[in-house]
Amino acid sequence: MSADTIIKVEGLRKYFKGGAIKALDGIDTEIQRGEVVVIIGPSGSGKSTFLRCLNLLEMPTAGRILFEGTDITARSTNINLHRRKMGMVFQLFNLFPHMTVMKNLTIAPMKLLGKTKEEAEEKALALLRRVGLEDRAEAYPNQLSGGQKQRIAIVRSLCMDPDVMLFDEPTSALDPEMVGEVLDVMKQLARDGMTMAVVTHEMGFAREVASRVVFMDNGRIIEQNTPNEIFNNPQSDRLKSFLAKVL
Amino acid sequence: MSDWIERLKDEFILNFVEDDRWRYLVDGLRATIIITFSALIIGIVIGLVVATVRSTHDKTIETMHPGIGRTILKILNFICKLYVTVIRGVPVVVQLLIAYFIIFVSVTNGVVVGILTFGINSGAYVAEIFRGGIMAVDPGQMEAGRSLGFNYVQTMRYIVVPQAFKHILPALLNELIALFKETAVVGYVAVKDLTKGADIIRGRTFSPFMPLFGAALIYLVFVMFFSWIVGKLERRLRTSER
Repeated sequence: MSADTIIKVEGLRKYFKGGAIKALDGIDTEIQRGEVVVIIGPSGSGKSTFLRCLNLLEMPTAGRILFEGTDITARSTNINLHRRKMGMVFQLFNLFPHMTVMKNLTIAPMKLLGKTKEEAEEKALALLRRVGLEDRAEAYPNQLSGGQKQRIAIVRSLCMDPDVMLFDEPTSALDPEMVGEVLDVMKQLARDGMTMAVVTHEMGFAREVASRVVFMDNGRIIEQNTPNEIFNNPQSDRLKSFLAKVL
Repeated sequence: MSDWIERLKDEFILNFVEDDRWRYLVDGLRATIIITFSALIIGIVIGLVVATVRSTHDKTIETMHPGIGRTILKILNFICKLYVTVIRGVPVVVQLLIAYFIIFVSVTNGVVVGILTFGINSGAYVAEIFRGGIMAVDPGQMEAGRSLGFNYVQTMRYIVVPQAFKHILPALLNELIALFKETAVVGYVAVKDLTKGADIIRGRTFSPFMPLFGAALIYLVFVMFFSWIVGKLERRLRTSER
């Protein structure tokens, strides 16, 4: 494992209902620092399950996940410490509705990283400015549009200074006219060198931003390559038929 | 008409004024209130423990590593489930009689037995109120908290429980109302509560109308007062969000 490998996945399997459903059926891959890996595939292919296994929101049935050299699937590993370094953005935002935007952004850095209120708020404000939402700091999540919520959710993860960001279909629940504003924030993040793993149906985003596209089906990685190769020179029949449907 | 009013007045004097019989109602009301609130406090304590076990089990058992902790949690969950099932499946009067004549047979103070019985009884209902409130919070909230690096207890404390509160508080006040009325059966174990007090007056005066309607009116006024608080609270909790 090279020094630049941030996540290494070995023989990852996730079964549901005692093995009746094989959501992940043997995944081996690596994510390098600074890489933007976009995971595509039909629904039910296991791509969301794969992403959720990376920070153990789903407990793998078998296999190992090494994050920055530590086997996080080992029982002796305190996953809470590693999750601080892995931001996650959800399809349904999952902002905390009982807190203002500012509180949403500062609670984790204050409680977990021991930052003072001033430090946490200063960083939160700087990040809010970057996504153009500094005027919504005192709003409650229900007063925001979907696109604004998702940008806040991204900022909430960034406030923890993560080494990698996981995006689980971040634009799937958005009205079409709001997709752009969220993708713009993600593109900016990618340009700034953030390591990202993104599950999405936005093929345009994959083509433009990904350093590598991973195509999954039936719990396996079928093909992975540069976006150019994946979209213009697909090898497997399954990828070809998938692209024919979505493009 | 004036004849009727005259008779009502005589009835009132006979049942409440003569021999200071109003004391039966006042003393009875005091016993009813003491039993109700003491039982609710016991119920909240039991409910908190049972709901914690039940919802921790339901939320984490799938992702827990096999081992001693998981086994203990499963056993605790079974006990809590059994408790809730039994308590909710047996009439409270029967529970009261079992408590008085069998379990707490050495305790001669009916009020204490009443408090314990209704406390244990209400614990099962309160547990389900707490559990329902916690489970009603979107599971995505737990995931968001955990993905930031909060552990289970921290996520519960900062994120899930504060949101569960707005489901829990009105339901808890409704439990208070139910408990207040249910305690009327403590007369079975010789406690002189409000209902029993009214019945004692009836036995003395052989005039059932005044004491029974009097007691009914007192219950009604208290319940209406509690309901008014519930309504106010629900409106306030609703406006704080959405």
